[in-house]
Amino acid sequence: MSFIDVQNIKHSFNSLNVLNDISLRIKEGEFVSVIGPSGCGKTTLLKILGGLLPPSHGNITIKDSSLDIAIKRRDFGFVFQNPVLLPWRTVLQNIELPLEIIGDQTPFAESEKLLELLGLKGFGKYYPKALSGGMKQRVAIARALVFNPDILLMDEPFGALDELTRERLNLELLKIWEQTHKTIIFITHSISEAVFLSNRVIVLSERPAKIDEIKEIDLPFPRTIAVKQSKEYFQYITWLRNKLKKS
Amino acid sequence: MATQQIKKIINWFSPIISFFLIVGVWEFLVRAFSVPQYLLPTPSAIAVDFSNSIGSLLFHAGVTFWEAFLGFLIANVLGILTAVAFVHSKTLEKSLYPFAIALKTTPIVAMAPLLILWFGNGIFSKVAAAALISFFPSIVNTVKGLKNVDIEALDLFKSISANKWHIFSKLRFPTALPYIFSALKISTSLAIVGAIVGEFVGANKGIGFVILISSYHLEIVKMFSAIIAAALIGIIFFWVVSFIEKRIIFWTDTED
Ligand SMILES: Nc1ncnc2c1ncn2[C@@H]1O[C@H](COP(=O)(O)OP(=O)(O)O)[C@@H](O)[C@H]1O
Ligand SMILES: [Mg+2]
Repeated sequence: MSFIDVQNIKHSFNSLNVLNDISLRIKEGEFVSVIGPSGCGKTTLLKILGGLLPPSHGNITIKDSSLDIAIKRRDFGFVFQNPVLLPWRTVLQNIELPLEIIGDQTPFAESEKLLELLGLKGFGKYYPKALSGGMKQRVAIARALVFNPDILLMDEPFGALDELTRERLNLELLKIWEQTHKTIIFITHSISEAVFLSNRVIVLSERPAKIDEIKEIDLPFPRTIAVKQSKEYFQYITWLRNKLKKS
Repeated sequence: MATQQIKKIINWFSPIISFFLIVGVWEFLVRAFSVPQYLLPTPSAIAVDFSNSIGSLLFHAGVTFWEAFLGFLIANVLGILTAVAFVHSKTLEKSLYPFAIALKTTPIVAMAPLLILWFGNGIFSKVAAAALISFFPSIVNTVKGLKNVDIEALDLFKSISANKWHIFSKLRFPTALPYIFSALKISTSLAIVGAIVGEFVGANKGIGFVILISSYHLEIVKMFSAIIAAALIGIIFFWVVSFIEKRIIFWTDTED
């Protein structure tokens, strides 16, 4: 049984074909990255996976139940490219927003612990205005984790950050993943980021996107900066870059 | 540090200095060219009249303010409620928006006699005029604000199965608040205009009434005092709303 089962997803906006027959299986606890040329349909795919957009065609099952049930069960935590924090709420109030809406769900952890896990200790009472881009994205991740969804859907979450911040957040995301065993689907346009983070990298073609390649990344865990010095790491990157160039 | 303080003092004093400069030049020119009192009085004559009739001015200004304030309240409560309804029902918006626009383009002066006919010579016709003139900016701004939500923020709410009430109370309404306040600020001066126009058409008290009567009697000094009183209530009304706005909306970066 696969945890997430994507069968023959096709999608078009009016006459624009965006996704062309995507099928995919993801195991529980897996970290899967999706890369592809910009505008090929990555965000569209992620929205369909998370039930925000009904696909024109195809079917998705999550833990053997339909997408509708999965959404009601609150299986998905989203992290978008923009942190979308509400500026009138403090960091802590932003993180707890899903709990206010969901109501009865047992939280993932005490909010204080969550702040600590995300390196936000002492920032709980700050307003988003006072935070850097990296800090804002940490808050967004904490907000996605707070109601303890099984699956994290992340759409280029670090795309707007500088290289050093991105590197740090990559390491912290891996740490969180190892601690929480979430299943993560991670969209990026950075090949090195995809290789560094993932169990598998899925390469999408130009629009209308289909799956060009699925690459297992057989690098050891826990992944540290040292991995980035290894020959294998560079080989994966080179291999994927060539794949992307061809498509 | 020191230069900043000096800048602050200059910012504070420059309007005061220019006020006295303008008033001084005005006084001088009127005296130098012996402009007749009934055309343009000297500022000093206006000041004397203003302080002599302060009690009566306060009364009439109070009447006008009360009419404007009630109209302001009615317009904005109805305006915000209508905007909320519009945002949740496209059909409603499509079928009623043209009327809102028609209302906007009809000058209040044209409607004032009708309002007197309907609501009588008392306060209600002025309240209605003030409300009518403030209603449109309230709807337009609130609709704009309620629709100004981020698509990603909406997606975020949908991803946790938020219902319409959650989306409204935790996202749309706070997003719209700065827009609503800009409507409220516009309304302060519009409502006073509405009330005064109503008073012009038929009233026995209020600033508009004082202005009208003094023009009949060619008491131009009195008229100036009344105009100044009207400006003052407008400024104070605006200032109070701005003050409340600054208290409530702390998260936007505003200029100044
Ligand atoms: N709501 C929409 N309506 C119409 N076209 C859309 C919509 N959303 C996305 N598109 C189009 O679909 C294509 C894929 O978009 P997207 O999934 O955002 O790409 P990516 O995330 O890979 O950059 C783009 O050409 C985009 O313009
Ligand atoms: Mg995208």
